[in-house]
Amino acid sequence: MNEKSREALSALLDDEASELEIRRLLSESEMEPGSGAGLRDTWARYSAVKQVLQGHELAYRELDVSAQVREALHHEAGGKKSAKGRFYRPLASLAVAASVAATVVMGGQQLVQLGSGEIDAGKPAFVSVATPVGVLESAGAVPVMASYGTRSVPVLSPLTRTAYDDLARRRQDMYMQLHAEQSALNSPQGLLPFARVPRITE
Amino acid sequence: MNLTLRKRYGIQNFLVLLPVLAVLVLGAGKVSAAACTEGDTAALKWLDKMAHSAREVDYQGVVTLQRGQDMKVMQVSHSVEDGSSRELLTELTGRGARVQRARHPLDCTHPGLQLLHVSPVDDSCGIAEQYRFEIAEGERVAGRKAITIRVKPRDLYRFGYVFSLDEATGLLLKVLTLNPAQRTLEVMQFAQLSYDAPSTVSAVADITHEAIHRGSPEFPDEAALISAWSLMWVPDGFTATEEPVGASPRKTYTDGLAAFSVFLETLDRDMPPGEGYVKQGGTTTYTRGMRLVDSPVLVTVIGEVPLSTARMVADSVRWVH
Repeated sequence: MNEKSREALSALLDDEASELEIRRLLSESEMEPGSGAGLRDTWARYSAVKQVLQGHELAYRELDVSAQVREALHHEAGGKKSAKGRFYRPLASLAVAASVAATVVMGGQQLVQLGSGEIDAGKPAFVSVATPVGVLESAGAVPVMASYGTRSVPVLSPLTRTAYDDLARRRQDMYMQLHAEQSALNSPQGLLPFARVPRITE
Repeated sequence: MNLTLRKRYGIQNFLVLLPVLAVLVLGAGKVSAAACTEGDTAALKWLDKMAHSAREVDYQGVVTLQRGQDMKVMQVSHSVEDGSSRELLTELTGRGARVQRARHPLDCTHPGLQLLHVSPVDDSCGIAEQYRFEIAEGERVAGRKAITIRVKPRDLYRFGYVFSLDEATGLLLKVLTLNPAQRTLEVMQFAQLSYDAPSTVSAVADITHEAIHRGSPEFPDEAALISAWSLMWVPDGFTATEEPVGASPRKTYTDGLAAFSVFLETLDRDMPPGEGYVKQGGTTTYTRGMRLVDSPVLVTVIGEVPLSTARMVADSVRWVH
Protein backbone atom coordinates (compact mmCIF):
# COMPACT_ATOMS: atom_id res chain seq x y z
CA MET A 1 0.00 0.00 0.00
CA ASN A 2 1.46 3.32 -1.00
CA GLU A 3 1.70 6.50 1.00
CA LYS A 4 -1.34 8.02 -0.65
CA SER A 5 -3.53 5.08 0.19
CA ARG A 6 -2.37 5.18 3.76
CA GLU A 7 -3.29 8.80 3.88
CA ALA A 8 -6.68 8.14 2.39
CA LEU A 9 -7.31 5.38 4.89
CA SER A 10 -6.29 7.60 7.65
CA ALA A 11 -8.56 10.32 6.40
CA LEU A 12 -11.31 7.74 6.50
CA LEU A 13 -10.47 7.18 10.08
CA ASP A 14 -10.77 10.81 10.92
CA ASP A 15 -14.08 10.91 9.15
CA GLU A 16 -12.56 13.24 6.61
CA ALA A 17 -12.26 11.09 3.54
CA SER A 18 -14.28 11.91 0.52
CA GLU A 19 -16.19 9.24 -1.30
CA LEU A 20 -13.73 9.78 -4.12
CA GLU A 21 -10.85 8.76 -1.91
CA ILE A 22 -12.64 5.63 -0.80
CA ARG A 23 -13.32 4.69 -4.39
CA ARG A 24 -9.71 5.31 -5.32
CA LEU A 25 -8.58 3.04 -2.52
CA LEU A 26 -10.86 0.33 -3.70
CA SER A 27 -9.84 0.49 -7.31
CA GLU A 28 -6.25 0.39 -6.23
CA SER A 29 -6.72 -2.70 -4.16
CA GLU A 30 -8.26 -4.30 -7.22
CA MET A 31 -5.54 -3.21 -9.59
CA GLU A 32 -2.62 -4.57 -7.64
CA PRO A 33 -3.76 -7.82 -6.16
CA GLY A 34 -0.26 -9.22 -5.86
CA SER A 35 1.55 -6.16 -4.61
CA GLY A 36 1.71 -7.40 -1.08
CA ALA A 37 0.22 -4.23 0.18
CA GLY A 38 -3.37 -4.03 -0.96
CA LEU A 39 -6.46 -4.14 1.16
CA ARG A 40 -6.85 -7.78 0.34
CA ASP A 41 -3.36 -8.66 1.38
CA THR A 42 -4.00 -6.90 4.59
CA TRP A 43 -6.72 -9.40 5.06
CA ALA A 44 -4.14 -12.15 4.90
CA ARG A 45 -2.37 -10.72 7.89
CA TYR A 46 -5.34 -11.45 10.05
CA SER A 47 -4.29 -15.03 10.14
CA ALA A 48 -1.42 -13.85 12.28
CA VAL A 49 -3.85 -13.07 15.04
CA LYS A 50 -5.87 -16.20 14.62
CA GLN A 51 -4.73 -17.65 17.88
CA VAL A 52 -6.40 -14.80 19.66
CA LEU A 53 -9.62 -15.96 18.23
CA GLN A 54 -9.23 -19.50 19.47
CA GLY A 55 -12.56 -20.98 20.22
CA HIS A 56 -14.28 -18.54 17.93
CA GLU A 57 -15.49 -19.45 14.51
CA LEU A 58 -13.66 -17.54 11.81
CA ALA A 59 -16.79 -17.32 9.80
CA TYR A 60 -15.79 -14.22 7.94
CA ARG A 61 -12.39 -15.31 6.79
CA GLU A 62 -13.36 -15.70 3.19
CA LEU A 63 -15.06 -12.38 2.99
CA ASP A 64 -13.95 -10.10 0.19
CA VAL A 65 -13.96 -6.77 1.88
CA SER A 66 -13.50 -4.50 -1.02
CA ALA A 67 -16.33 -6.04 -2.97
CA GLN A 68 -18.71 -5.44 -0.11
CA VAL A 69 -17.60 -1.92 0.44
CA ARG A 70 -17.91 -1.26 -3.24
CA GLU A 71 -21.39 -2.62 -3.31
CA ALA A 72 -22.35 -0.52 -0.36
CA LEU A 73 -20.94 2.54 -2.02
CA HIS A 74 -22.84 1.71 -5.13
CA HIS A 75 -26.02 1.80 -3.12
CA GLU A 76 -24.95 5.02 -1.50
CA ALA A 77 -24.44 6.58 -4.88
CA GLY A 78 -27.86 5.35 -5.89
CA GLY A 79 -29.29 6.99 -2.84
CA LYS A 80 -28.66 10.37 -4.28
CA LYS A 81 -30.63 9.65 -7.39
CA SER A 82 -33.73 7.67 -6.67
CA ALA A 83 -36.30 7.03 -4.01
CA LYS A 84 -35.28 3.41 -4.06
CA GLY A 85 -31.74 4.48 -3.47
CA ARG A 86 -32.75 6.61 -0.56
CA PHE A 87 -34.33 3.58 0.92
CA TYR A 88 -31.05 1.74 0.48
CA ARG A 89 -28.91 4.43 1.90
CA PRO A 90 -29.12 3.43 5.56
CA LEU A 91 -28.67 -0.17 4.53
CA ALA A 92 -25.68 0.76 2.49
CA SER A 93 -24.09 2.52 5.42
CA LEU A 94 -24.67 -0.52 7.52
CA ALA A 95 -23.15 -2.68 4.84
CA VAL A 96 -20.08 -0.50 4.67
CA ALA A 97 -19.78 -0.65 8.39
CA ALA A 98 -20.37 -4.35 8.59
CA SER A 99 -18.12 -5.38 5.78
CA VAL A 100 -15.28 -3.27 6.94
CA ALA A 101 -15.71 -4.29 10.54
CA ALA A 102 -15.85 -7.93 9.70
CA THR A 103 -12.45 -7.68 8.16
CA VAL A 104 -10.95 -6.10 11.08
CA VAL A 105 -11.95 -7.56 14.20
CA MET A 106 -8.70 -8.13 15.90
CA GLY A 107 -6.86 -4.91 15.28
CA GLY A 108 -7.06 -3.67 18.80
CA GLN A 109 -6.27 -6.94 20.43
CA GLN A 110 -3.22 -7.46 18.30
CA LEU A 111 -1.97 -4.03 19.19
CA VAL A 112 -2.56 -4.77 22.78
CA GLN A 113 -0.47 -7.85 22.65
CA LEU A 114 2.36 -6.20 20.86
CA GLY A 115 2.24 -2.97 22.72
CA SER A 116 2.73 -3.83 26.32
CA GLY A 117 3.59 -6.54 28.71
CA GLU A 118 0.77 -5.68 31.02
CA ILE A 119 -1.92 -7.15 28.91
CA ASP A 120 -4.05 -10.06 29.83
CA ALA A 121 -3.57 -11.66 26.47
CA GLY A 122 -5.12 -14.91 27.42
CA LYS A 123 -8.55 -13.47 27.66
CA PRO A 124 -9.57 -11.63 24.54
CA ALA A 125 -12.78 -9.88 25.32
CA PHE A 126 -15.34 -9.27 22.68
CA VAL A 127 -18.01 -6.75 22.19
CA SER A 128 -21.01 -8.86 22.62
CA VAL A 129 -23.70 -6.30 23.17
CA ALA A 130 -25.09 -3.61 20.96
CA THR A 131 -22.41 -1.24 19.78
CA PRO A 132 -22.31 1.69 17.44
CA VAL A 133 -21.23 -0.98 15.07
CA GLY A 134 -23.93 -3.24 16.37
CA VAL A 135 -24.80 -4.04 12.79
CA LEU A 136 -21.97 -6.48 12.89
CA GLU A 137 -23.87 -9.20 14.50
CA SER A 138 -26.98 -8.63 12.48
CA ALA A 139 -24.81 -8.94 9.41
CA GLY A 140 -23.81 -12.40 10.47
CA ALA A 141 -20.27 -11.69 11.54
CA VAL A 142 -18.92 -12.94 14.81
CA PRO A 143 -18.84 -10.36 17.59
CA VAL A 144 -15.89 -8.11 17.14
CA MET A 145 -13.74 -5.85 19.18
CA ALA A 146 -14.02 -2.15 18.91
CA SER A 147 -10.62 -0.51 18.62
CA TYR A 148 -8.45 -1.30 21.63
CA GLY A 149 -11.66 -2.51 22.99
CA THR A 150 -12.18 -4.89 25.74
CA ARG A 151 -15.29 -3.03 26.61
CA SER A 152 -18.51 -2.54 24.80
CA VAL A 153 -18.97 0.74 23.06
CA PRO A 154 -22.36 2.22 23.77
CA VAL A 155 -24.95 3.15 21.22
CA LEU A 156 -25.28 6.88 21.29
CA SER A 157 -28.44 8.77 20.68
CA PRO A 158 -27.78 12.01 18.80
CA LEU A 159 -28.63 13.80 22.03
CA THR A 160 -26.00 11.93 24.03
CA ARG A 161 -23.52 12.53 21.25
CA THR A 162 -24.05 16.28 21.39
CA ALA A 163 -23.88 16.27 25.15
CA TYR A 164 -20.57 14.43 25.03
CA ASP A 165 -19.12 16.79 22.44
CA ASP A 166 -20.06 19.66 24.75
CA LEU A 167 -18.49 17.83 27.63
CA ALA A 168 -15.29 17.36 25.61
CA ARG A 169 -15.24 21.08 24.90
CA ARG A 170 -15.59 21.88 28.61
CA ARG A 171 -12.86 19.39 29.47
CA GLN A 172 -10.62 21.02 26.88
CA ASP A 173 -11.05 24.38 28.61
CA MET A 174 -10.50 22.76 31.97
CA TYR A 175 -7.45 20.64 31.17
CA MET A 176 -5.64 22.34 28.30
CA GLN A 177 -3.43 24.41 30.56
CA LEU A 178 -2.41 21.36 32.60
CA HIS A 179 -1.54 19.55 29.41
CA ALA A 180 0.39 22.57 28.10
CA GLU A 181 2.34 22.75 31.33
CA GLN A 182 3.72 19.24 30.81
CA SER A 183 3.99 19.69 27.09
CA ALA A 184 6.07 22.84 27.53
CA LEU A 185 8.59 20.97 29.66
CA ASN A 186 8.96 18.29 27.04
CA SER A 187 8.88 20.35 23.88
CA PRO A 188 11.68 21.96 21.86
CA GLN A 189 9.50 25.06 21.71
CA GLY A 190 9.81 26.32 25.25
CA LEU A 191 6.59 27.80 26.55
CA LEU A 192 4.88 27.84 23.16
CA PRO A 193 2.52 24.95 23.93
CA PHE A 194 0.76 27.45 26.21
CA ALA A 195 -0.27 29.28 23.05
CA ARG A 196 -2.87 26.56 22.53
CA VAL A 197 -4.53 27.17 25.88
CA PRO A 198 -7.89 28.84 25.28
CA ARG A 199 -7.84 30.74 28.58
CA ILE A 200 -4.64 30.99 30.56
CA THR A 201 -5.33 31.28 34.28
CA GLU A 202 -3.10 31.91 37.25
CA MET B 1 -34.30 12.96 10.12
CA ASN B 2 -31.99 12.43 7.20
CA LEU B 3 -29.45 14.63 8.80
CA THR B 4 -29.60 12.71 12.03
CA LEU B 5 -29.12 9.45 10.22
CA ARG B 6 -26.19 10.77 8.27
CA LYS B 7 -24.51 12.00 11.38
CA ARG B 8 -24.95 8.73 13.14
CA TYR B 9 -23.58 6.68 10.34
CA GLY B 10 -20.66 9.02 10.14
CA ILE B 11 -19.85 8.09 13.69
CA GLN B 12 -20.44 4.45 13.00
CA ASN B 13 -18.12 4.47 10.06
CA PHE B 14 -15.51 6.13 12.13
CA LEU B 15 -15.74 3.64 14.92
CA VAL B 16 -15.78 0.75 12.56
CA LEU B 17 -12.81 1.89 10.58
CA LEU B 18 -10.68 2.41 13.59
CA PRO B 19 -9.65 -1.20 13.97
CA VAL B 20 -9.20 -1.64 10.21
CA LEU B 21 -6.60 1.01 10.31
CA ALA B 22 -5.05 -0.42 13.39
CA VAL B 23 -4.42 -3.62 11.50
CA LEU B 24 -3.16 -1.87 8.41
CA VAL B 25 -0.83 0.19 10.45
CA LEU B 26 0.50 -2.84 12.12
CA GLY B 27 1.12 -4.58 8.87
CA ALA B 28 2.54 -1.67 6.97
CA GLY B 29 4.03 0.52 9.58
CA LYS B 30 6.18 -1.81 11.59
CA VAL B 31 9.80 -0.97 11.10
CA SER B 32 12.88 -2.66 12.31
CA ALA B 33 15.01 -0.91 14.83
CA ALA B 34 18.03 -1.24 12.60
CA ALA B 35 16.56 0.89 9.82
CA CYS B 36 18.62 3.92 10.66
CA THR B 37 19.50 5.53 7.37
CA GLU B 38 22.05 8.19 6.65
CA GLY B 39 19.27 10.73 6.09
CA ASP B 40 17.86 9.87 9.50
CA THR B 41 21.24 10.31 11.13
CA ALA B 42 21.66 13.76 9.63
CA ALA B 43 18.17 14.76 10.75
CA LEU B 44 18.77 13.37 14.23
CA LYS B 45 21.81 15.61 14.53
CA TRP B 46 19.68 18.61 13.64
CA LEU B 47 17.03 17.60 16.16
CA ASP B 48 19.72 17.23 18.78
CA LYS B 49 20.95 20.71 18.00
CA MET B 50 17.38 21.98 18.10
CA ALA B 51 16.80 20.48 21.54
CA HIS B 52 20.00 22.06 22.84
CA SER B 53 19.30 25.51 21.44
CA ALA B 54 15.77 25.41 22.85
CA ARG B 55 17.30 25.28 26.31
CA GLU B 56 20.59 27.11 25.96
CA VAL B 57 20.18 30.04 23.58
CA ASP B 58 19.09 33.57 24.49
CA TYR B 59 16.38 34.88 22.21
CA GLN B 60 13.28 37.00 22.06
CA GLY B 61 10.68 37.48 19.41
CA VAL B 62 7.09 37.43 18.26
CA VAL B 63 5.38 34.16 17.44
CA THR B 64 2.11 33.54 15.64
CA LEU B 65 -0.13 30.50 15.96
CA GLN B 66 -2.55 30.00 13.12
CA ARG B 67 -5.34 27.47 13.31
CA GLY B 68 -7.86 27.76 10.50
CA GLN B 69 -9.11 31.33 10.50
CA ASP B 70 -7.91 31.94 14.02
CA MET B 71 -4.59 33.70 14.64
CA LYS B 72 -2.91 34.23 17.99
CA VAL B 73 0.14 36.43 18.46
CA MET B 74 2.58 36.10 21.34
CA GLN B 75 5.78 37.66 22.53
CA VAL B 76 8.30 35.16 23.81
CA SER B 77 11.70 35.36 25.39
CA HIS B 78 14.26 32.92 26.73
CA SER B 79 17.43 33.70 28.61
CA VAL B 80 20.02 31.76 30.54
CA GLU B 81 21.78 33.03 33.61
CA ASP B 82 23.77 31.17 36.26
CA GLY B 83 22.86 27.77 34.96
CA SER B 84 19.10 28.33 34.88
CA SER B 85 16.77 29.55 32.22
CA ARG B 86 14.08 32.15 32.42
CA GLU B 87 11.21 32.01 29.96
CA LEU B 88 8.36 34.35 29.28
CA LEU B 89 5.35 34.18 26.99
CA THR B 90 2.93 37.08 26.74
CA GLU B 91 -0.23 37.01 24.65
CA LEU B 92 -0.42 40.08 22.43
CA THR B 93 -3.92 39.18 21.30
CA GLY B 94 -6.94 38.00 23.26
CA ARG B 95 -6.75 38.39 27.00
CA GLY B 96 -3.10 39.28 27.12
CA ALA B 97 -2.23 36.67 29.73
CA ARG B 98 1.38 35.86 30.58
CA VAL B 99 3.20 32.67 31.43
CA GLN B 100 6.59 32.71 33.05
CA ARG B 101 8.99 30.07 34.17
CA ALA B 102 11.88 31.35 36.17
CA ARG B 103 14.89 29.47 37.50
CA HIS B 104 14.59 26.29 35.48
CA PRO B 105 17.98 24.60 35.97
CA LEU B 106 19.67 23.70 32.69
CA ASP B 107 20.60 20.28 34.00
CA CYS B 108 16.95 19.53 34.63
CA THR B 109 15.98 17.92 31.34
CA HIS B 110 12.65 16.25 30.85
CA PRO B 111 12.02 13.08 28.82
CA GLY B 112 10.67 14.90 25.77
CA LEU B 113 13.94 16.67 25.08
CA GLN B 114 16.00 13.65 26.04
CA LEU B 115 14.24 11.73 23.30
CA LEU B 116 15.57 14.25 20.80
CA HIS B 117 19.17 13.91 21.93
CA VAL B 118 21.32 11.61 19.84
CA SER B 119 22.78 8.83 21.90
CA PRO B 120 25.76 7.34 20.07
CA VAL B 121 26.12 4.43 22.49
CA ASP B 122 22.68 3.24 21.70
CA ASP B 123 22.36 1.47 18.37
CA SER B 124 18.70 2.42 18.15
CA CYS B 125 17.67 5.24 15.89
CA GLY B 126 15.78 6.96 18.65
CA ILE B 127 12.95 9.01 17.34
CA ALA B 128 13.71 7.90 13.76
CA GLU B 129 11.97 4.67 14.66
CA GLN B 130 8.73 6.60 14.86
CA TYR B 131 9.28 9.19 12.13
CA ARG B 132 10.97 9.44 8.75
CA PHE B 133 12.94 12.59 8.05
CA GLU B 134 13.83 14.49 4.92
CA ILE B 135 16.09 17.49 5.05
CA ALA B 136 15.70 20.20 2.45
CA GLU B 137 16.83 23.72 1.92
CA GLY B 138 14.40 26.09 3.54
CA GLU B 139 13.15 29.59 3.00
CA ARG B 140 13.61 32.44 5.37
CA VAL B 141 11.58 32.54 8.56
CA ALA B 142 11.56 35.75 10.57
CA GLY B 143 14.45 36.95 8.44
CA ARG B 144 16.63 33.95 9.35
CA LYS B 145 17.94 31.45 6.86
CA ALA B 146 16.32 28.15 7.69
CA ILE B 147 16.64 24.50 6.80
CA THR B 148 13.52 22.39 6.43
CA ILE B 149 12.98 18.98 7.96
CA ARG B 150 9.93 17.10 6.75
CA VAL B 151 8.84 14.77 9.50
CA LYS B 152 6.59 11.89 8.48
CA PRO B 153 5.20 9.47 11.02
CA ARG B 154 5.85 5.79 10.36
CA ASP B 155 2.43 4.86 11.70
CA LEU B 156 -0.97 6.49 11.95
CA TYR B 157 -0.82 7.27 15.64
CA ARG B 158 0.82 10.65 15.29
CA PHE B 159 0.83 13.70 13.09
CA GLY B 160 3.46 14.79 10.60
CA TYR B 161 5.36 18.05 10.71
CA VAL B 162 7.40 20.40 8.64
CA PHE B 163 10.06 22.00 10.82
CA SER B 164 12.08 25.05 9.88
CA LEU B 165 15.25 25.36 11.92
CA ASP B 166 17.57 28.32 12.05
CA GLU B 167 20.54 27.20 9.97
CA ALA B 168 22.96 28.90 12.33
CA THR B 169 21.56 28.06 15.76
CA GLY B 170 19.18 25.14 15.21
CA LEU B 171 16.37 27.02 16.93
CA LEU B 172 12.94 25.81 15.86
CA LEU B 173 11.50 28.76 13.92
CA LYS B 174 8.41 27.29 12.35
CA VAL B 175 6.26 24.20 12.80
CA LEU B 176 3.58 23.07 10.41
CA THR B 177 1.41 20.28 11.80
CA LEU B 178 -0.05 17.96 9.16
CA ASN B 179 -2.71 15.32 9.54
CA PRO B 180 -2.15 12.00 7.73
CA ALA B 181 -4.06 13.32 4.73
CA GLN B 182 -1.43 16.10 4.56
CA ARG B 183 -3.88 18.80 5.53
CA THR B 184 -2.33 21.58 7.58
CA LEU B 185 -3.81 21.63 11.06
CA GLU B 186 -1.85 24.52 12.48
CA VAL B 187 1.18 26.69 11.85
CA MET B 188 3.31 28.15 14.61
CA GLN B 189 6.15 30.45 13.58
CA PHE B 190 8.38 33.29 14.57
CA ALA B 191 7.37 36.50 12.82
CA GLN B 192 10.28 38.36 14.36
CA LEU B 193 13.32 37.07 16.21
CA SER B 194 16.51 38.40 17.75
CA TYR B 195 19.23 36.61 19.64
CA ASP B 196 19.82 39.42 22.09
CA ALA B 197 19.35 38.86 25.75
CA PRO B 198 15.72 39.78 26.38
CA SER B 199 15.20 43.41 27.22
CA THR B 200 12.61 44.56 29.68
CA VAL B 201 9.17 43.26 28.91
CA SER B 202 7.18 45.73 26.90
CA ALA B 203 3.79 44.07 26.77
CA VAL B 204 1.49 44.45 29.76
CA ALA B 205 -0.29 41.48 31.28
CA ASP B 206 -3.15 41.31 33.76
CA ILE B 207 -2.92 37.61 34.38
CA THR B 208 0.37 35.88 35.07
CA HIS B 209 0.75 32.14 35.36
CA GLU B 210 3.89 30.79 37.02
CA ALA B 211 4.79 27.64 35.13
CA ILE B 212 6.25 24.80 37.14
CA HIS B 213 9.04 22.46 36.20
CA ARG B 214 8.34 19.57 38.50
CA GLY B 215 5.64 18.23 40.72
CA SER B 216 1.98 18.47 40.03
CA PRO B 217 0.45 20.96 42.40
CA GLU B 218 -2.51 21.68 40.26
CA PHE B 219 -5.21 19.32 41.48
CA PRO B 220 -7.44 20.08 44.44
CA ASP B 221 -7.89 17.33 47.03
CA GLU B 222 -11.35 16.38 45.84
CA ALA B 223 -9.87 15.29 42.51
CA ALA B 224 -7.87 12.57 44.26
CA LEU B 225 -8.71 9.15 42.93
CA ILE B 226 -9.77 6.09 44.86
CA SER B 227 -7.08 3.94 43.32
CA ALA B 228 -4.00 3.95 41.13
CA TRP B 229 -4.61 3.55 37.43
CA SER B 230 -2.60 2.95 34.33
CA LEU B 231 -2.81 2.72 30.58
CA MET B 232 -2.56 -0.67 28.97
CA TRP B 233 -1.57 0.82 25.65
CA VAL B 234 0.21 3.85 24.27
CA PRO B 235 1.67 4.04 20.76
CA ASP B 236 5.27 2.85 20.38
CA GLY B 237 7.82 5.47 21.32
CA PHE B 238 5.62 7.35 23.79
CA THR B 239 7.02 7.59 27.28
CA ALA B 240 5.66 9.08 30.50
CA THR B 241 6.86 12.61 31.19
CA GLU B 242 7.19 11.99 34.93
CA GLU B 243 7.77 9.20 37.38
CA PRO B 244 4.45 7.40 37.64
CA VAL B 245 2.23 8.80 40.35
CA GLY B 246 -0.42 6.12 40.48
CA ALA B 247 -3.43 7.95 41.81
CA SER B 248 -2.74 11.32 40.19
CA PRO B 249 -5.68 12.34 38.02
CA ARG B 250 -3.31 13.17 35.13
CA LYS B 251 -0.66 11.29 33.19
CA THR B 252 1.26 12.78 30.27
CA TYR B 253 3.17 10.95 27.54
CA THR B 254 5.51 12.21 24.83
CA ASP B 255 7.39 10.77 21.88
CA GLY B 256 9.67 13.80 21.72
CA LEU B 257 7.61 15.66 19.15
CA ALA B 258 4.02 15.09 20.24
CA ALA B 259 2.47 14.88 23.70
CA PHE B 260 -0.87 13.85 25.12
CA SER B 261 -2.30 13.90 28.61
CA VAL B 262 -4.87 11.56 30.06
CA PHE B 263 -7.21 12.76 32.82
CA LEU B 264 -9.31 10.43 34.89
CA GLU B 265 -12.28 11.57 36.97
CA THR B 266 -14.44 9.34 39.08
CA LEU B 267 -18.10 10.27 38.99
CA ASP B 268 -20.39 10.07 41.98
CA ARG B 269 -23.22 8.69 39.90
CA ASP B 270 -23.77 6.87 36.66
CA MET B 271 -24.16 8.79 33.46
CA PRO B 272 -25.05 7.39 30.07
CA PRO B 273 -21.87 5.91 28.63
CA GLY B 274 -20.61 7.61 25.51
CA GLU B 275 -17.90 9.61 23.86
CA GLY B 276 -17.37 13.04 22.36
CA TYR B 277 -14.54 15.06 20.96
CA VAL B 278 -13.43 18.47 19.83
CA LYS B 279 -10.53 19.27 17.52
CA GLN B 280 -8.79 22.58 17.44
CA GLY B 281 -5.78 22.95 15.18
CA GLY B 282 -3.46 20.11 16.06
CA THR B 283 -5.09 19.49 19.43
CA THR B 284 -7.63 16.75 19.94
CA THR B 285 -9.75 16.48 23.06
CA TYR B 286 -11.56 13.18 23.45
CA THR B 287 -13.86 12.47 26.39
CA ARG B 288 -15.27 9.08 27.21
CA GLY B 289 -17.77 8.18 29.90
CA MET B 290 -17.71 4.55 30.99
CA ARG B 291 -17.61 2.18 33.95
CA LEU B 292 -14.27 1.02 35.21
CA VAL B 293 -15.01 -2.08 37.24
CA ASP B 294 -17.70 -0.67 39.56
CA SER B 295 -17.03 3.02 39.32
CA PRO B 296 -18.40 5.34 36.69
CA VAL B 297 -15.52 7.40 35.31
CA LEU B 298 -14.84 10.08 32.78
CA VAL B 299 -11.62 9.71 30.79
CA THR B 300 -10.31 12.66 28.81
CA VAL B 301 -7.38 12.46 26.44
CA ILE B 302 -6.07 15.79 25.29
CA GLY B 303 -3.07 16.29 23.05
CA GLU B 304 -1.45 16.78 19.69
CA VAL B 305 -2.37 13.35 18.36
CA PRO B 306 -5.03 12.03 15.96
CA LEU B 307 -8.47 11.24 17.29
CA SER B 308 -7.95 7.52 16.76
CA THR B 309 -4.91 7.57 19.06
CA ALA B 310 -6.79 9.45 21.75
CA ARG B 311 -9.63 6.98 21.53
CA MET B 312 -7.48 3.90 21.80
CA VAL B 313 -5.57 5.37 24.72
CA ALA B 314 -8.81 6.20 26.56
CA ASP B 315 -10.01 2.71 25.88
CA SER B 316 -7.00 1.21 27.62
CA VAL B 317 -7.40 2.88 31.02
CA ARG B 318 -7.50 0.37 33.90
CA TRP B 319 -7.41 0.46 37.65
CA VAL B 320 -4.28 -1.02 39.15
CA HIS B 321 -4.96 -3.34 42.06
